[in-house]
Amino acid sequence: MSALIEKLMPQANAEDDGSFGGLRKKAQRVLMQHGFPQRKTENWKYMPLGLLEKRTFSDAGPDTSAAPSPPPFPFKAGVIHFHNGRLDPEACRLPDGVELTGMLPADIDVSLLDDASPADAFAWLNLARFEQGWKLRVEGRPDEPLIIATTCDDDFAVAVHPRLTVQLADDAALILVESQSGEGAGLINSVLDFRLGSRSSLTHVIERRFVETALIQRTTACISDAADYRAFILDGGGRLTRQDLVAELSSPGATAGISGVATLSGRALVDYHTAIEHRVGGTESHENFRILADDQSVGVFNGRIHIVRDADDSHSQMNTGNLLLSENARINTKPELEIHAEDVTASHGATIGQLDDDARFYLRSRGLSDAQAIALLKYGFAAAVFDAMAPGAVRDWLTDRLKETV
Amino acid sequence: MLNIKNLHVAVGGEEIIKGLDLDVGPGELHAIMGPNGSGKSTLGYALAGRDGYEVTDGSVDFAGQDLLELEVEQRAAAGLFLALQYPVEIPGVNNAYFLRAALNAQRKARGEEEVDSMAFLKMVREQLKQLKMDEALLKRAVNEGFSGGEKKRNEIVQLAVLQPRLAILDETDSGLDIDALKLVAEGVNRLRDENRSFIVITHYQRLLEYLVPDRVHVLSDGRIAESGDRSLAQRLEREGYAFLDTAEA
Repeated sequence: MSALIEKLMPQANAEDDGSFGGLRKKAQRVLMQHGFPQRKTENWKYMPLGLLEKRTFSDAGPDTSAAPSPPPFPFKAGVIHFHNGRLDPEACRLPDGVELTGMLPADIDVSLLDDASPADAFAWLNLARFEQGWKLRVEGRPDEPLIIATTCDDDFAVAVHPRLTVQLADDAALILVESQSGEGAGLINSVLDFRLGSRSSLTHVIERRFVETALIQRTTACISDAADYRAFILDGGGRLTRQDLVAELSSPGATAGISGVATLSGRALVDYHTAIEHRVGGTESHENFRILADDQSVGVFNGRIHIVRDADDSHSQMNTGNLLLSENARINTKPELEIHAEDVTASHGATIGQLDDDARFYLRSRGLSDAQAIALLKYGFAAAVFDAMAPGAVRDWLTDRLKETV
Repeated sequence: MLNIKNLHVAVGGEEIIKGLDLDVGPGELHAIMGPNGSGKSTLGYALAGRDGYEVTDGSVDFAGQDLLELEVEQRAAAGLFLALQYPVEIPGVNNAYFLRAALNAQRKARGEEEVDSMAFLKMVREQLKQLKMDEALLKRAVNEGFSGGEKKRNEIVQLAVLQPRLAILDETDSGLDIDALKLVAEGVNRLRDENRSFIVITHYQRLLEYLVPDRVHVLSDGRIAESGDRSLAQRLEREGYAFLDTAEA
């Protein structure tokens, strides 16, 4: 995909930044050497990257315009706001116990630069092109959530590469909400890393809906002993959305949960590749992902559970449910289990189907119109993934957003 | 209330109801009995407007309206209710939410004011109490995880909340023990008045000890073969359906 390299790496050399220069250059070199994924790259075969080749990304330049206010939320929370890929630290409002600083080279995991797979190409690109990395550090238990709002203008037509690391100190706890939307036909190529200290707890909510903005986001959560990571995802669709989400259970007692639903319509295409790595025994994970696809939309889910040798007493459960709502919608779903330990439990299930005619008649026979019946059935199918979320204002907001999308 | 003339219904291209006539007046309870395959459930589904149940001839007048011209939800708003033989489970759809949405959809269609959540909860809690059902069921998904008896009683809760003009109970008694049967019958009897009518489809005379019918009809091969008062049900209990063959011969 040399055409894509020309689009996304128009300059021959990465910027020579004093603190990151070495890393940027190496990332660029690796990318130029291995290129972007192609259709034959297994984990990217459903992503039509040709769509990005057809776009024109203007030269970003410094953005001196004032960002608009982030959208309002019906609950009290701290907010940091990325607009058109850039963050204005002065405009942030942080909860007590949360600190925002610039990223340092030591904060970057460079191990992926040693891997030769084009599957990591967009992460290499981010490392080569990010302008300003940020780091959040969380101590204690802030009494309000933190929202990371991402917005783009209608005329957003650049490729941006935001980079954020979030560290939770030992025993810290946070509800972090990523709320993302965008209309313009630019590209957000984002890397988000979580590092959870011992006994810490992170509830990570992602709520996103794009029009033409393409999003490629790689999120990694390193979960240490007795720490807990829970992701809850509501994706209302976008022209091209790719989310890689990796949860690494690296110490005994670490737990991870991924629950998500994508409600797709029009020509939306979303691709979720998740991986839960049980690197040691005594770890638990569960995953529940649902896709509802209507019109000509395409939904992709690939959920991988990997239990390494000697990671005994690991337990993992994965379910994916999928609903096709039109003749032209497509869903590709693949659970993967790679188990090398002996004393573990691991299960997976996948279903794909259409709306139940009996249920639809039943609701209509009680007076609901067909449209109301369909919306209620879609909502019922989707909302189940949020049952695992603790009741509260954030969950209420998320389920209200779900009602709007079905 | 209900006038059915020469009704013919086909399912999957096969004619099941083959010329049925039935008149149900306001406040009346009619029982429909008959052997398996005679068309009892088909009648219920056809009146409710379910897809796949094709009316090929005949007419149905419901309280002055041509029922066959109405969509499923319009028939509900007009006052028709079908309690299913096999109530459907709907995962993820909260019982209380669904029932209030249904009630308000019907009220809106009729130009009536919608019911607010407090008034609705009060109404439905009372019904649950009388049917000896746990209030916790309100927060559960519709019929999901319900026992067979609970599903049937849930149909009666819906019936009581939606207050239809004509309720068709399709084998509501099947699978119920005697205590559940009595509860269901009491629930239905509480709703009987001079304006509300019932069609009770059943195999067994037992239910009719508690829901005393005004008329009993026997459906056989898609037609009403015999009609009478409640003594007809008692005769069927004693003799089975064989006497119909003699009568038809």
